[in-house]
Amino acid sequence: MSAQSHGNGAYHMPIELISANHAAAKAATLAGRANRNARGFGGGVYPITPQTECIELLCRQEFDKGKIVRVESEHSAMAVCIGVSLSGARAFTASASNGLAYMAENVVAASYYRLPILMMAVNRTLGPPWNIWVDHGDTLMLRDTGWMQIYCENNQEVLDSVLLGYRLAEDPRVLLPVMICQDAFVLSHTMMLTDIPEQEQVDAFLPELDLPHRVAHQAVTLGGLDFPHETEVHRIQHHKATKNVPEVYRECQDAFEKAFGRRPPDRVVPYRMDDAEVVLVSMGTTTSTARKVVDAAREKGLAVGSLGVRMLRPFPEDLLRTWLQGKEKIGVLDRDLSPGVGGILWSELRGVVGGDRTVQNYVLGMGGGDVLPEHLQKVLDDLLARNCAGEPELMEVA
Amino acid sequence: MEIRLHGRGGQGGVTCAKILAAVYARLGLNVQTFGDYASERSGAPVRAYTRVSEDPITNRNKVYHPDHLLVLDPTLLGKEVVAGLVAGGLLLVNSTDSPEALQQRFPGFRLAVVDATGIARKHKIGTRSVVIVNTTIAGAFVRAMGISLEVLERAYQELGFFSNFPAAKEAYDLVAISEPEGEPIPDGAGPAGGVPVEALTDHQISQPSNLQTGSWRTQMPEYVDHLAPCNAWCPAGNDVIGFVQAAIRKSVQDASHVLGRSTPLAATCGRVCPAPCMEGCNRAEYDGAVNIRGLERWIADQKPVAQSERAELEQPKRFAVLGGGPAGLAAAYELAREGHRVVIFEGEKKLGGVLRTGIPEYRLPRPVLDQEVQGILDLGVEVQSGKFLAAEDMPNLLREFDGLIVATGLQKLRSLSIPGNDLDGVQQGIHFLHRLNLEGGIRLRGHVVVLGGGNTAMDCARSALRCGAEKVTVAYRRTEKEMPAIREEIEEAHHEGIHFLYQRQPVALHGDGRVKSLVLAEVEMGEPDDSGRRRPIVTERTEAIACDAVLLALGQSADFDLLPEAWKLQEGRLYAGEKALPAFGAGDLATGDGTVTHAIGSGRRSAGLLLQAVLAEEEAAPGRPIQVFERPDRSKAVPITDIRLDHFARSPASKEASLPAEERIRTFEEVNRGLPDSMESHRCFSCGHCTECDTCLVYCPEGIVHRRGTGYEVDYAFCKGCGICVEECPRKAMEMVPTTCPSN
Repeated sequence: MSAQSHGNGAYHMPIELISANHAAAKAATLAGRANRNARGFGGGVYPITPQTECIELLCRQEFDKGKIVRVESEHSAMAVCIGVSLSGARAFTASASNGLAYMAENVVAASYYRLPILMMAVNRTLGPPWNIWVDHGDTLMLRDTGWMQIYCENNQEVLDSVLLGYRLAEDPRVLLPVMICQDAFVLSHTMMLTDIPEQEQVDAFLPELDLPHRVAHQAVTLGGLDFPHETEVHRIQHHKATKNVPEVYRECQDAFEKAFGRRPPDRVVPYRMDDAEVVLVSMGTTTSTARKVVDAAREKGLAVGSLGVRMLRPFPEDLLRTWLQGKEKIGVLDRDLSPGVGGILWSELRGVVGGDRTVQNYVLGMGGGDVLPEHLQKVLDDLLARNCAGEPELMEVA
Repeated sequence: MEIRLHGRGGQGGVTCAKILAAVYARLGLNVQTFGDYASERSGAPVRAYTRVSEDPITNRNKVYHPDHLLVLDPTLLGKEVVAGLVAGGLLLVNSTDSPEALQQRFPGFRLAVVDATGIARKHKIGTRSVVIVNTTIAGAFVRAMGISLEVLERAYQELGFFSNFPAAKEAYDLVAISEPEGEPIPDGAGPAGGVPVEALTDHQISQPSNLQTGSWRTQMPEYVDHLAPCNAWCPAGNDVIGFVQAAIRKSVQDASHVLGRSTPLAATCGRVCPAPCMEGCNRAEYDGAVNIRGLERWIADQKPVAQSERAELEQPKRFAVLGGGPAGLAAAYELAREGHRVVIFEGEKKLGGVLRTGIPEYRLPRPVLDQEVQGILDLGVEVQSGKFLAAEDMPNLLREFDGLIVATGLQKLRSLSIPGNDLDGVQQGIHFLHRLNLEGGIRLRGHVVVLGGGNTAMDCARSALRCGAEKVTVAYRRTEKEMPAIREEIEEAHHEGIHFLYQRQPVALHGDGRVKSLVLAEVEMGEPDDSGRRRPIVTERTEAIACDAVLLALGQSADFDLLPEAWKLQEGRLYAGEKALPAFGAGDLATGDGTVTHAIGSGRRSAGLLLQAVLAEEEAAPGRPIQVFERPDRSKAVPITDIRLDHFARSPASKEASLPAEERIRTFEEVNRGLPDSMESHRCFSCGHCTECDTCLVYCPEGIVHRRGTGYEVDYAFCKGCGICVEECPRKAMEMVPTTCPSN
């Protein structure tokens, strides 16, 4: 759209009015081209609402080295990504909802092959009955597949997270696939002014992928039989790799800031937390709304803060433990439900915070209901009035 | 600032919201824009939103209390749509109503009204089926908000909508705005009631919908025939698509009947017509025109087209037709079938005109022509032949008959005024053909040069070869591309070994009594003249070629000496001084178009005009109403861009078999052997005419297109006007029209 000058003055990044779907596609294109002098770029794609716009734009791009393959299903889409990545190229796909469910077998394979594939997932309610709107249940279904998961709050964050995600995933200390998640329609189809970096900036930020176990001239067997002692070793290695993520993530943030002049958010994003006694914890775009309620409460003199959980896997236990230390009342907002348990974020968080404190779960916005500040005000009022946590509150906002 | 838009799926509301965001982004503000997405498609009420702020936007909610509201479809206007609009806010409506009329329903708002649909329709904005109003109404919005039109112009340039800018500018100019009066009526809408949610485990049985989604539409589909290019291009006015489709869907008999409605000479035209219909054919650009001429011949050969039914009149008129060529024959056919008495006056012994005297038998076997002429005579048409009439006969004819058709063709021949043009062996090609066709037995020898590039030149050249010439050369003053002869004739001449010299102008003939050589000057091509052909410029460079005979085929013109001195031909009608006579010219005499098909069309038209002129003087016109044939407007024909080519597999046109070149140059046997069958008709796209292919029925997302007898019925109670049937129709047999739904 227009060209604006940024802090360091070195580049004029074009600012475009685009949807987060297009932001993801543009980021993937830039990342793909950045690997042109190495093994190139590729991916398998299959459309599903609300992700379709992303892969449509991606399919219209030209790559000097690599190609996007249009396949007949999500299962094959991930299979293509596995092949691309195993050959040492940078891989990308996108999916949502029941598409992820169908893809699941290969989602696991991508991770257990330790391939730094990046998938943009648009969070959409699982059916039936059919529903196309936002709900985090689909990517949370894949929570334990060994992928990293990042949940975004705005369009720019989607674009930046795709670029950052590749550097993080491809780091030799990590070598894990990563899902960049965004809320259906609230981000995917909402157009906002977005900074698109220049190719040279991305080239400088993203090193060429050098996959140590790529399939080259030597014939290898992949995914053969693993005996119990071997599986134990493989799982332990995988687990250990996740432990390197916090440090590598921080390095990626530094490098990103140096390259693009803005710093991607931490794995957990604090807001007015320093003296907070009461905290609302949330994921995705609900966090933006929670901050408005925090501001309103602060105006009334209440010590309320917010934490946005940006990275859910590996679980940012370190940061959550730090930020929640000494906080008496914690409200956890889930846009998902594990039937019979409650919200998934809440059930994870309970393990971090001691049982002596009030950690109350509020499940709201399932199926895409518009979570308004008024709803979160009710949540806060309820939380403030509590002396101890009760059963998860399943709220209707639609 | 928050803006909400209400429209219907397909109107482009979401893009409209984006345009508004782009405009504010240009003004240096932060923006956010999004639509409300659901499973409903075209016609369903949809909303879209735009937020504008000086600060970064972190609001992730929909807009419930807009500062401004746009309504893209007036049928949506109601309190639910206006709900939440702040007092004094802009309410911009796409409507033909006045702001004052809406002010009464919606007081307290700043009302702006523009007929965006009308403007967009005028500017042809939308898909080929549905008008899209978004880019137009944005013009009205910026005007209402006091934003300069240049900002919108630049935004359109960036968004790639620049072609829509004139419509936006028109809306900018035309929007009517009235300032708020009174207070808004409280909408009183409490929390949305919604539909009670049934438990999934209860297994409720769905009730049939009583939601008449037909009330959502802004436009509706209709089955409308459109002009097919073949019909638009045919100078004779044949229903080309009608006979081709009849050959597929009905029978040869039916196809022949369709042809016979407009022409008595289909077997002839199927052989000698330059086939303008095939130039117009949409298939030409795709994989080659449908071989319409071949089909016409095949049908007419199977089943002669001339119709024997004639109207019964109590007091038929008597008409004289001068000239028994194609124009005269067509006029006679038309007049006779209307029930009138017709006498054809023909100078030669037999009817046919140039078809008989000019066209060689290897192109048109005489039994074919004889049979078609007989078909006309069978209607009771009389003939007086063997005597050429002169100017002094005309007044008598006018007294004797109720009206005249003068169709005497082009009798004047262009000659060559160069030294040596009176040498023996130099003659008019027309005279050569005339003698050959009527008397036969001509033998030629040596090298024959034909001067000219039209069909007469080709006929002379190819006939000369068949008369024994050892070598035949055609010399033409322009390039091959500009030769007016029928393409196939030129190709066949090449195959037969005729030599061609292009860009050559004869400047002298040499010989001693008999021609021995011809001097040709080279010609360079200059600027295009009025006919669009480049003007030949004769150079000084010459060469002499030895020859034994020269045939001139340099063109013909009308001979008006046939008419009495005081008569003149004006726009096809004859006048004695200022007095309009019941007499019309027809064919080449009147139009000079020079093809059989033009002559037939002209004959038909003159016959109609004559009947109209003669019967207009009577109180009650007898018989059926007179229809004067008018050439269709080619610009109204269905363009290829309206054909869904993916419905049609590519397949090359069927070509007629022809006699091998080495065999045919020794005889006058017909070269073209015709098509083996009528399979070629299946290649017809049927442009603009429904073939009951079921595409509309299959593609309708609502399942509300049904078969009804021959054709289809749309259940308009549920048709949302999505336009998919029109979009998918392979042949533009449908179109979207303004809705007439009573519930709107």
